[in-house]
Amino acid sequence: MITNLPFETIIISFVIGIASGAIGAFIILRRMALVGDALSHVALPGIALALVYGIDPFWGVVSFCVAGVMIVWMLERKTRLHSDALIGLLFTFSLAIGILTIPDTEILESLFGTFAPLSFPVFVFITATGILLIALTFLFAKRFLFSIISPDLAHIESPRSSRWYELAFFIIFAFIVALGIKLVGTLLMGALTIIPASIAKNISRSMSGYIIISALFGGFTSLFGVTLASKMGFLPGPTIILLGIGLFAVSLFFTRKT
Amino acid sequence: MESHNILHVDNLSIRLDHETILNGISFDVEQGEALAIIGPNGAGKTVLFRALLGLMPYRGVVEWKKGVRIGYVPQKFFVDKSFPITVLEFFLLKSRGFWMPKPAFLAHLQHELSLVGLSKDILVKPVSELSGGQLQRILISWAMVNHPDVLLFDEPTAGIDVGAEETIYTILHKLQNDRGTTVLLISHDLNIVYRYANKVLCVNKTMICHGKPKDILNPEELAHIYGEGGFYHHPEQESL
Repeated sequence: MITNLPFETIIISFVIGIASGAIGAFIILRRMALVGDALSHVALPGIALALVYGIDPFWGVVSFCVAGVMIVWMLERKTRLHSDALIGLLFTFSLAIGILTIPDTEILESLFGTFAPLSFPVFVFITATGILLIALTFLFAKRFLFSIISPDLAHIESPRSSRWYELAFFIIFAFIVALGIKLVGTLLMGALTIIPASIAKNISRSMSGYIIISALFGGFTSLFGVTLASKMGFLPGPTIILLGIGLFAVSLFFTRKT
Repeated sequence: MESHNILHVDNLSIRLDHETILNGISFDVEQGEALAIIGPNGAGKTVLFRALLGLMPYRGVVEWKKGVRIGYVPQKFFVDKSFPITVLEFFLLKSRGFWMPKPAFLAHLQHELSLVGLSKDILVKPVSELSGGQLQRILISWAMVNHPDVLLFDEPTAGIDVGAEETIYTILHKLQNDRGTTVLLISHDLNIVYRYANKVLCVNKTMICHGKPKDILNPEELAHIYGEGGFYHHPEQESL
């Protein structure tokens, strides 16, 4: 196990944590808490295919997650099922395919994340993508919020664009899930998006405060989580999640009264 | 569409789950008009609004004047009690700067709130903590904040006490006089309709009448709309 945490890992965990916390704020409001979980499993066949063809599994993850949300976005119009049911279907399908196709040696890493050494270009790409996703989440925050608070009023306000913002939300989410899988693995990625937002929701009194606190908790939880994991020789994914759950328990004592 | 019309509706029909909700509705709305839409419970009034707003599929023609801006006060509006959104943030959904509100918008907002009898202190309150009357005024102010050309108002006084009800119509009247806003109003209260609207549209699955209140609001027509004897009871009480 690595004891000296590389600089790249510190930066990446912080950026991915912030991105997950920021998008997670909207995921919780949309009552899609388990969708991130499901979506991260859609990545498994992507990982398998990438390994078969000898390319970086990240690309397999990105393409499968984005394809997954696009399918859900399109199916939502065709059926009366909510997105959680649709993603649930895709998830079990993908998990089954993924487990059958990924080589045994890679399964643990895919499921729980890793400190895999990164080449410099990959490091720069992941960091830049993470920062871009954070910026887009904050830029579109008003639109995302509007359609959560009242889809009808959002549609009346901008009849042509409201559906495209919906798609933008799903794609940003898919990319963040894809990045997060690198850090905490497919099994625990969902938790990385919902724990910071759950903590923030307990203690916030305004929407802007909620989103910012969620993003910051995401960033610092994963930063301290990977540091702790590296010192103790633990897997990073479970360590980050346990730390987050611990903070959530503490936040219960500061819960705002409704 | 004639130039002074802001809305043209022709042969509008709506079917949901193989059931006809509305059939053959045709009317025009002139700029600055106050049109009241009346009919018994389940007549399809809210559905008509939703079709006009493009929120549900329909057959027929719904043609708004080009570039028209619409404000809508829905019949029911709930914000999840657990959502940490303040009144100010709710208004900022309609402004350009959500993260950094512009001073001009805040000043404008303060003025708009004063029109509905609210002070700026309410801006820091969570939406979930507002009383029914406060939320209703906020919704009216919210619909009016960017000065729309048309305001669609669905049962604006349902669930509000009589004093607040009067205030809401006074506000609405004032906004209409000051800004020349066209108002489409769904109401159960024929007294209000008579005093407030200059045109009335009666629907009960189909279009029953369309015209001036004094021509339509007579016992014979009302019996036709609500069924024999039905209009003598207040429709809200009827449903209890």
